[in-house]
Amino acid sequence: MSLWVDMYRPRTLDDLHYHEGLSTRLRSLAASGDFPHMLFYGPSGAGKKTRIACTLRELFGKGADKLKIDQRVFMTPSKRKLDVNIVQSNYHIEITPSEVGQYDRVVIQELLKEIAQTQQVDVSAKHRFKVVIIQEADSLTRDAQAALRRTMEKYMSNMRIILCANSTSKLIAPIKSRCLLVRVAAPSSEEIVKVLKHVAAKQPFRVIDDEVAQEIAEDSNGNLRKAILVFEALRMQSPDLSGPLTIAKPDWETYCHKVADMIIQEQTPQRVMDVRSKLYELLSHCIPATVIIKTIADRLVDKVDENLKADIMHWAAIYETRMRVGNKKIFHLEAWVVKVMSLYKHFFYGIDMSGFD
Amino acid sequence: MSSMFGEPSGLLRGETLLDTPQAIGSQTLVASEESGEDAFVLGGLLGSEEGEEQMDEGFGEATLLTDAFHPTGLLSEGVTDCSASSQSLGCESQPIATQASQDLPDFRDAIGKYSTTTNAIRSTTSVTPSPAYTPPLRATTYNGKAVFIRKRQRKVETMLSSSSSNNRPHNIGKLLDVPMHRLMDEVSASVAAKLSIHDQPLASTSCAAGAESSMWVDRYRPQRYIDLVGDDRVHREVMAWVKEWDFCVFGNKKGKKKARDDGNLDEYRRPNEKLLLISGPPGLGKTTLAHIVAKQAGYNIFEINASDARSASVVDDRIRPAVESGSMVGSSKPTLVVIDEIDGATGGSDNSGGFIHKLVTLTQEIPKKGRKKEQQAVRPLLRPIICICNDLYASSLAKLRPHARIVRFTRPNDVHLVRRLRTICEQEGLKAESRALSSLVGLAQGDWRGCLNALQLIGSRSREVTELIVRKATTGMKEADMSQLAVLNDLFTPMSRKRAKDLGITEDEESKYVTRLCREVESSGAMDRIATGCFEHYATLRRHDANFSRYLKANEWLSTYDIMSGQMWAEREYASMQYLPYMLVGFYPLFQERGAPKMERPKVDWEQYTLTKTNEEIYKSLARGLRVACTRHGGAYRHFTSDTILQLEFAPFINRIISPPLRPVNKQVIKADEKALLSRLVDIMVSLELRFIQDKSEDGQLMYRLDPPIDVFVTYDGKRASDISVSRYAVRHLVASEIDAKFIHRDAEFTEKSKATNPKKRSFFNANKNDAAANGGDGMLMAKDADVPIAKRAKKDVAIEDKVAVDFFGRPIVHTASSKPVSSKGAKKEGVVAYRFREGNSAAVRKPVKVSSFL
Repeated sequence: MSLWVDMYRPRTLDDLHYHEGLSTRLRSLAASGDFPHMLFYGPSGAGKKTRIACTLRELFGKGADKLKIDQRVFMTPSKRKLDVNIVQSNYHIEITPSEVGQYDRVVIQELLKEIAQTQQVDVSAKHRFKVVIIQEADSLTRDAQAALRRTMEKYMSNMRIILCANSTSKLIAPIKSRCLLVRVAAPSSEEIVKVLKHVAAKQPFRVIDDEVAQEIAEDSNGNLRKAILVFEALRMQSPDLSGPLTIAKPDWETYCHKVADMIIQEQTPQRVMDVRSKLYELLSHCIPATVIIKTIADRLVDKVDENLKADIMHWAAIYETRMRVGNKKIFHLEAWVVKVMSLYKHFFYGIDMSGFD
Repeated sequence: MSSMFGEPSGLLRGETLLDTPQAIGSQTLVASEESGEDAFVLGGLLGSEEGEEQMDEGFGEATLLTDAFHPTGLLSEGVTDCSASSQSLGCESQPIATQASQDLPDFRDAIGKYSTTTNAIRSTTSVTPSPAYTPPLRATTYNGKAVFIRKRQRKVETMLSSSSSNNRPHNIGKLLDVPMHRLMDEVSASVAAKLSIHDQPLASTSCAAGAESSMWVDRYRPQRYIDLVGDDRVHREVMAWVKEWDFCVFGNKKGKKKARDDGNLDEYRRPNEKLLLISGPPGLGKTTLAHIVAKQAGYNIFEINASDARSASVVDDRIRPAVESGSMVGSSKPTLVVIDEIDGATGGSDNSGGFIHKLVTLTQEIPKKGRKKEQQAVRPLLRPIICICNDLYASSLAKLRPHARIVRFTRPNDVHLVRRLRTICEQEGLKAESRALSSLVGLAQGDWRGCLNALQLIGSRSREVTELIVRKATTGMKEADMSQLAVLNDLFTPMSRKRAKDLGITEDEESKYVTRLCREVESSGAMDRIATGCFEHYATLRRHDANFSRYLKANEWLSTYDIMSGQMWAEREYASMQYLPYMLVGFYPLFQERGAPKMERPKVDWEQYTLTKTNEEIYKSLARGLRVACTRHGGAYRHFTSDTILQLEFAPFINRIISPPLRPVNKQVIKADEKALLSRLVDIMVSLELRFIQDKSEDGQLMYRLDPPIDVFVTYDGKRASDISVSRYAVRHLVASEIDAKFIHRDAEFTEKSKATNPKKRSFFNANKNDAAANGGDGMLMAKDADVPIAKRAKKDVAIEDKVAVDFFGRPIVHTASSKPVSSKGAKKEGVVAYRFREGNSAAVRKPVKVSSFL
């Protein structure tokens, strides 16, 4: 049995609860017979993948839901084997090239060529082309993106590509210009509440308290997947949804907040060491360093004086770029922490103490 | 006359006796040689009847002679040569000579004028040994016993003597061919000359040194076991191991001690460890020890070192024949194999065909018992093998270590080394300051070989070993091989006075730290680790820093270092490597402090790294579970497999979803809503391939742990998240049994599905249909699920009944259709069927069984 997130995932464009305008446009696109390459982008948990699945359903009918999952092995020129998981139906194929890291070009080239050079055999298919869905397109390497651009033009007759990304900034311009860009915005709290109620209605308890729904929605920050997961966790924790409910935050987030509080409380070398051990703990739980710095910075900005906010964010941004270039995340995290501490101290005591040491 | 000489000679001998046996040997040898000649000549002069007596006393005089001729024997041209040669010949001659010259006045008084002249004669003649004729010397000890001493020829001496022998006939004729006053003049002149000679390197001696082609390292290599210097315990340990083989190798004859350590030996009377692994830094004499011990124990040595190929085939081609043949051709001694520098051998860890692997199998081979004799191609190892390595923990030796007895060489005490070096210096006629020697030893860090080579280098240039010269000669040595920790310490603490003195660095030079530290950092060869060390250490220092200015700078250096090295690796611009050390040197001015806490080996980063790796593995197994779930549920879980979503959203919440607050009650009396909860929990866990596995905690209590242990993701600082209730053992037990049942059921179902069961049969059973629907993925049957009993037992029935219903080809078997429902219905009604299907017990044959047969 699957989780609610999957269980109540809308299957058709009509079932979607929000962004009606977008749904209508997608529907008419699918009906027009002139389906372009597409690029869906938007924040995590906004419903990009759901929308893509719904569009496919609209394009090909029920057959697009019959999924087959298997693994394929690709070989790099250096004879290295790559395992890629492929989800496919008769009409489309879904891949996540970022699974293989820097070798994604190999996967893109081989797989796309293979698909592009075979014609649709199913005569009853509504369309002559197959659709290739590329997930996490923004983590494609430059090489892979370059490999994509020619293929996209050349094999237009046999294949359409749907890219799914969080942001378009990491995609090269030629790709963006070849696609129809579809932005899927994060749902508003009201929309999330609506979806939560829809989910609750299918449950034995049938109702969800408005307040709880609102709280979950606000906490989720526009991430519907997270909202539904939280809801399910809540329901598992207290089956009848009664009593005082605490919305579960992810543990790493709580922990990051703790770190932020530590930074504000005290600015001493000892505290630097304490914070370092906490940061290590976070990193060892495989929380991406960029997420850590962002979460802590957000929390800090909430807590500190107006005059410091800009500086903190400024330095967070600087150290995040450094982090991306370097290897040791912890160096840059700590450098930022020390910077923030120093800024805070300067501000707090209101004097320039550089002459003291 | 002889009695007069006797006294000082005894004195001098007593002095020489204090020295090492070698030194005594050479000293007495030199002395006796000359005394022999002298006595012989004298005898000829004084008459035959006195000759015998003179010979008796000759030995006593002889020892004195070297010094006796030194002050007085400057009469002829050959004399200067002589004094020079005495310097280069024996290690002891110089000090004695100098001492004798100090003693000279009373000496003269005692002897009187006559004796001086005779002395002079004797000394002139004494340096004329004929190389061809060397009669044995007769000497008498103090208790009157006659001793004959064989004369040994020495190259240098013969060279010298041949030059002086030209004077011989001419000298013999006269007693004193030069007037006394002239003699005195010559003495003063030669003394003056000698003094000036001391100031500049002697041309003649350097010539002599050039003639000695051998390295000092070889010349002063110990020849016998007792010559070994260093840690005696180690030597004995090695010897003891070799001796343990005696019974195996030499048979019974040497097996006197076997009763004592019999427990240590196996059926062939071999020690338990067939290999000896000697490890230690270079230059301590590991190879020498192995050779000497083997020689002492009566073995012939078969050595394999880095100059030989060391592939696996060497073991078969060379070692095995050497070991199996027992002894080498043309020798009666058994063979002992010494494998030098084994840490450079191939294939210890990775491939099974490597040298080490072969070697280990060679030692482990045991002829199979109970087979015919001719089939014993494999013979046991019956000869000792000694392996020598520098790095005991080299990865290639990982397989060897458990099978070998390990002897570690440690750096010997500097005192021993200094003492030995001084002896050598004396033998070589070098003037050595003890401070110079100890600083040399300090620089070489106990490396004998390095010391001797450095000393020889110095000796080839000058006769003096001063600290300054040592510094110059060893400029390269001090940089070699700085350990990481030493480099880190140097980065954070200013150079100690002692070390500065050791390196001969002045105050002024010390303040110019950049180049020095850069070189150190670079030579450590592990810059990344040094950077990590800096990072771990800096925050413990300079804690009174008010506004973090130092910390900010330090972090700036670190960030820059990381960015540069990151770029370097990414762009493969290794040319920029040379600039990296400068980033780390920046720590020195910021944090150097005398008396700062000592560095410890940085380890936090490594610990975190391993922890991260473990957690990554857990994520991977969770992702694998998700993929499996995805295939089973029509792609349902696939949206979670992306890394960030998995880490940031899925992992925390799935932990909460799978830990509902269940009461630990028997599942028969469970409430309806709890039952629903339980079944849903089990469904989710099964679909994600999560299980509870029974395990024992450290204190021996039974517990269930999650597998894969995804609960680490809600555990920070060793504490679980507070909002997740800790499920008790009983609850987990309940869930675990349900999960197991479900897994079995699912597997059974899977086979059923593949057999394409008759749908009618399936619909006959309510529970089964429910399950099928649930697995279909729409999951709308939660409510229904709740009122259908979980009824594990009933499901079991169903599973088996289903099997009854189809034959091998998946067709329903018609004739059982009538009997089966009745029986199963009966079983259900009564509800007394109690059996347990133990999967795995009867996996081989699955046979249709009627429920009635169990009743």
